[in-house]
Amino acid sequence: MNKKKHLFAEDSFFLSRRKFMAVGAAFVAALAIPIGWFTSKLERRNEYIKARSQGLYKDDSLAKKRVSHANPAVEKYYKEFGGEPLGHTSHELLHTHFVDRTKLSS
Amino acid sequence: MTATTYQPGEIQGLIKINASKCKGCDACKQFCPTHAINGASGAVHSIDEDKCLSCGQCLINCPFSAIEETHSALETVIKKLADKNTTVVGIIAPAVRVAIGEEFGLGTGELVTGKLYGAMNQAGFKIFDCNFAADLTIMEEGSEFIHRLHANAKGEENAGALPQFTSCCPGWVRYLETRYPALLPNLSTAKSPQQMAGTVAKTYGAKVYQMQPENIFTVSVMPCTSKKLEASRPEFNSAWQYHQEHGANTPSYQDIDAVLTTREMAQLLKMLDIDLANTPEYQGDSLFSEYTGAGTIFGTTGGVMEAALRTAHKVLTGTEMAKLEFEPVRGLKGVKSASVSLFDTELNQNVTVNVAVVHDMGNNIEPVLRDVMAGTSPYHFIEVMNCAGGCVNGGGQPIEGKGSSWLGNI
Ligand code: SF4
Ligand code: SF4
Ligand code: SF4
Repeated sequence: MNKKKHLFAEDSFFLSRRKFMAVGAAFVAALAIPIGWFTSKLERRNEYIKARSQGLYKDDSLAKKRVSHANPAVEKYYKEFGGEPLGHTSHELLHTHFVDRTKLSS
Repeated sequence: MTATTYQPGEIQGLIKINASKCKGCDACKQFCPTHAINGASGAVHSIDEDKCLSCGQCLINCPFSAIEETHSALETVIKKLADKNTTVVGIIAPAVRVAIGEEFGLGTGELVTGKLYGAMNQAGFKIFDCNFAADLTIMEEGSEFIHRLHANAKGEENAGALPQFTSCCPGWVRYLETRYPALLPNLSTAKSPQQMAGTVAKTYGAKVYQMQPENIFTVSVMPCTSKKLEASRPEFNSAWQYHQEHGANTPSYQDIDAVLTTREMAQLLKMLDIDLANTPEYQGDSLFSEYTGAGTIFGTTGGVMEAALRTAHKVLTGTEMAKLEFEPVRGLKGVKSASVSLFDTELNQNVTVNVAVVHDMGNNIEPVLRDVMAGTSPYHFIEVMNCAGGCVNGGGQPIEGKGSSWLGNI
């Protein structure tokens, strides 16, 4: 799936980037990212986000059960140990509280 | 007494800029959700730890690999795996299975659940799929939402704040805790799947594995650097508290003993000479590897909401959703919203539930929070993930879908 699909498109960019660095780093103190770096970076990022998300949606569509309340192991957990959602044991083990971090000091 | 945003015991300053490598190019600043990075263009940059969420977005986007993690449990985990008296439980997050293959030459996004189970089994882990805990999260967080919805509709006192925010992303939770403490009542009190998994492994799991809880070592494998900070929160020793209340008398231990990122798990397997790409598939060794499709989509933006709606629909109407794929919450739009109308059998009337999904938090959350603060938010339930795209693009994932930093050292 999508194996190394976008390697080629990127290569020319890497090359120019590398050259730019080699030349630029020698005598330019303040090193700005070349124009277009950010856009190109976001495009590539969105591509792998989509590929990985597709992988998860595939996992979902292949799954024997697709809704949490039908997970037999979850049912077993509540029956043998946890009681019921929002019950006493759940409050003890599966819920938490949050911290106002504007009021901490050390 | 100086102000801090850390509780005693929490990992502080997890993400650091290596001054000798930083070129001052400013790229990291564009990816930081909290403007925690200081430094003029061309000068060495540094991170303000009090603002930092440890999300690692700067780390995976620095073109010079100048940003590093200061904390790794890799060696400890390898020692524990070699210790015959310890049961090492590997807790695998959803987004890991579609990314770790990249570190072994497989395609971007390739789903490798069976191979990953196999490789980790060879390495000596018991397999605990965090997706099982994600299903538990839906049971708890979904029930909590329905409870708040009904209590508000009936005008009960202490009905619980709406909109309810999801609480599974530690970057987002810390953001709210450091910036908007007034909105903490809106956070679901459900623990994140990582923390539920650790707690269950050392309580119910101790029975399943027939082990003393103090001999169980829980290692979560996460797409996320912020999960290391989450695991170190001092309140997350509830399994220990539980056992103390039931008569045990041992020194305190955390629910999650160690967190490895996807990158670190790949490193561990390589150190043990296990080639994930060529490992036979493995099914798991206990009920903790049983999970549903709803649990697995937690790893992408919109997934928690979609999973929650599937269960809420069943609970409210008594019937399953006709079509499980809920398209309005999928995709990469910064803020996605949808309305679901259904017949609520308990209230005996039609209700409309408005939901929103926010990811790439730094760029998208502020207007949403302003509405909530002003009391004008149209939503009942809001999913928030710090990273763009959700955990599939977390700070602990292989870099750029190719398993290494894209420019490396020049
Ligand atoms: S992206 Fe990396 S090299 Fe550029 S300023 Fe940030 S830390 Fe320095
Ligand atoms: S880890 Fe996240 S919050 Fe911290 S400096 Fe980097 S991008 Fe900003
Ligand atoms: S979105 Fe996922 S990977 Fe990113 S900080 Fe939140 S939990 Fe971690």
